[in-house]
Amino acid sequence: MKFWKKWSYLILMAAAGFLYLSCVDKWQVYAKPLEQVKALYLELSGKNGDYVTEESGNGASAGSDSMPEQEAAEPVQSGTEPGMEPGQSDAEEGQTGNSAGQSETVPGQPGQETTAAGEEAAEPVYTTVEDDYFADAVFIGDSRTVGMYEYGGLENVSTFYASTGLTVYKLFDSDIVQVPGQKKKITVEEALQQNSFAKIYLMIGINEMGTGTVETFTEKYREVLEHLQELQPDAIIYIQAIMKVTTERSNQGDYINNEGIIARNEELEKLADNRKIFYLDVNPLICDETGGMVESYTFDGVHLKAQYIQIWKDFLKQHAIY
Amino acid sequence: MIFSSIEFLLLFLPIFLLCYRLSPDKIKNVVLLAGSLIFYALGEPRYLALLMVSILVNYITALHLEQSARQKGKDKRQKKSKYEKRRRRLFFAAIIGNIGILIFFKAVSGEAELPLGISFYTFQMLSYLIDVYRGEQRRETSFVRLATYVTMFPQLISGPIVSYGEVRDSLQRRKFSAETLEEGMKVFTVGLTFKVLLADRLGLLWHDVQVTGFESISTPLAWLAAIAYSMKIYFDFYGYSLMAVGLGRVLGFELPENFRMPYMARSVRDFYRRWHITLGRWFCRYVYIPLGGNRMGELRTVCNLLAVWMLTAIWHGGTANFLIWGMLLWLLIVFERQLSALGFDRIFQKGPLKVIPHLYLWIVIPVTWVCFAVGDVSQLQIYLGRMFGTVEAVSVGAGDWAKALQNYRYLLGIGVIACTPVLQKGYKRWKDNIFCKLILVTLFWLCVWRLQVEGQNPFMYFRF
Repeated sequence: MKFWKKWSYLILMAAAGFLYLSCVDKWQVYAKPLEQVKALYLELSGKNGDYVTEESGNGASAGSDSMPEQEAAEPVQSGTEPGMEPGQSDAEEGQTGNSAGQSETVPGQPGQETTAAGEEAAEPVYTTVEDDYFADAVFIGDSRTVGMYEYGGLENVSTFYASTGLTVYKLFDSDIVQVPGQKKKITVEEALQQNSFAKIYLMIGINEMGTGTVETFTEKYREVLEHLQELQPDAIIYIQAIMKVTTERSNQGDYINNEGIIARNEELEKLADNRKIFYLDVNPLICDETGGMVESYTFDGVHLKAQYIQIWKDFLKQHAIY
Repeated sequence: MIFSSIEFLLLFLPIFLLCYRLSPDKIKNVVLLAGSLIFYALGEPRYLALLMVSILVNYITALHLEQSARQKGKDKRQKKSKYEKRRRRLFFAAIIGNIGILIFFKAVSGEAELPLGISFYTFQMLSYLIDVYRGEQRRETSFVRLATYVTMFPQLISGPIVSYGEVRDSLQRRKFSAETLEEGMKVFTVGLTFKVLLADRLGLLWHDVQVTGFESISTPLAWLAAIAYSMKIYFDFYGYSLMAVGLGRVLGFELPENFRMPYMARSVRDFYRRWHITLGRWFCRYVYIPLGGNRMGELRTVCNLLAVWMLTAIWHGGTANFLIWGMLLWLLIVFERQLSALGFDRIFQKGPLKVIPHLYLWIVIPVTWVCFAVGDVSQLQIYLGRMFGTVEAVSVGAGDWAKALQNYRYLLGIGVIACTPVLQKGYKRWKDNIFCKLILVTLFWLCVWRLQVEGQNPFMYFRF
């Protein structure tokens, strides 16, 4: 009893810790450093050669295990890749070449679309509109779109399905849409089934940079577009280029960098057919000569400050399709 | 390495405590010194050498600084004055050297590049030198003991600024028992909770406001964010100090308390007697009082205060906004001195008027913290302008403050309660109660869990 009285706090602490580490952490806190130490030890203790071969053997067997999967995935990749390169080079020459490249990159699309691609060689004709243009529009996106909702002055005009951290992978399944009079939020999927829109603005893609590759991202984005068209067959879809970050933020060394954003935007541009799907890139208006977002337009290097959201909104107003 | 990190909580601390517990009393100082150096090196290996050289030089210097009581013989007087002169020169050289290094790093490198903890350990070393020179402390003959005093990991990086007299005896002999271990860990847990569950999360409101841009916040939101920042900086620093005191107790030391309910103060003067007490004490002992303190007339007192606040501002960073912060506090303090000289104190002593000094403090302190927080002076002007409605806003979100209040109401509420003596009284009363212990244990692992979630996903909060 005396012992318990003396040590009760530490015993409780250890017991709770044991519980926590077993249930939540699975002892990873200690397992990881131990593994590192083990690896270091093996490396140092002359077993160097053995260890490496063992490892490479493992790698090989792991590789052969996953082979079937890779093969399954391969046709899609090889299908896109040849089409991608001409697409990329054409993109620099102009819109015309781009949409030609586009028809090649989308093997899965119905034949009529491919034939139609010839007609859409012309550049889209944008007009300038007023705020009421957005009355039947829905903005879907991540925190940047949340910024547009809060400071763009459209909160009472348009619909916003936006949430911080939203990704293309979870776009339809996220419970982010508040229904008036209800406490529970519904998913974007449900919301799009219940409401119809004439325009859909997408600004999404920066959170996805930590996961997957440009290809997996583009593939998912394409699926999202197809599903959006199923849900809202009459809507015009605006793919908005992912906004770049400041050069300083880009150089910070994590996965958020402008090279990655540019690579993704190039692919997004090819997803546009300039018939029902259009690609809008606001970056030239908010970037400086270093190629990143203007430093004074942002605090964290990623989000436009409220007063500069206007630039983005004006850009959208000047790039409307009727 | 910081206390609120998984590496410290789950790896460094348990391993160190085990070693410390198992080592015999004789070598406990050596174990603590070694542990502290590892602790420092894990955070910043580059400046470990600077720290060690600095301690060594100061150790040797202090050996020669002590007033000699053994001067004898016929030419005693002459010898003594010669000795005195040398002692004096050495003393000034040592002071200038220490301060010079600090200023060099402050001037050359930005605040982020500063050698870890240099502001704190320099001040600690200076206090030791001055105390020995003045004869208030005997010189320390053991290098290990002196080095342990300076580098002791609970207080190495962010204080409290311990004076040598406070730990001298403990460095010779101290108790490492179940009681101190338990007491210390409890205090540590409270500090960790303040840091992880309050400060870090209240800080998000301040972060949100910065992302939005100061031009685009409504006046109520400007005040709300200033209050949130005031709480964030308090719980951040108070939490850290509590963790330091707790760890000190775990190791068998009594480190001085650094905060005493500052937001319950009734004047700015009172506030800074309760805020970062060990720094205020340092400036009082080694600057204010040697300059004459308040004993040489009002004008001289005001000048002395100016000197102290200038130095405090420079110590914090020396950029324009810190100077504005320091000067503002100086003005307020001078203003309060005049008011109390005119007898206004007594009016607010009793009755319902008692609340006025509190309200005054809760209005001026957030304003001074904004000056502290916003590094860019033009941005600072905008922020203050928004607080007082003198700067036009650009595209303010409708009801932004209501949204922020909605999102942060619980945190702000808990923060306000934690600023009052309620929590402390409750803690004192129930700290040995089993339920209280259970709550503390839960809070500890909750903090660990939060830190892990954030660690695995640094964009947990800052997702886009």
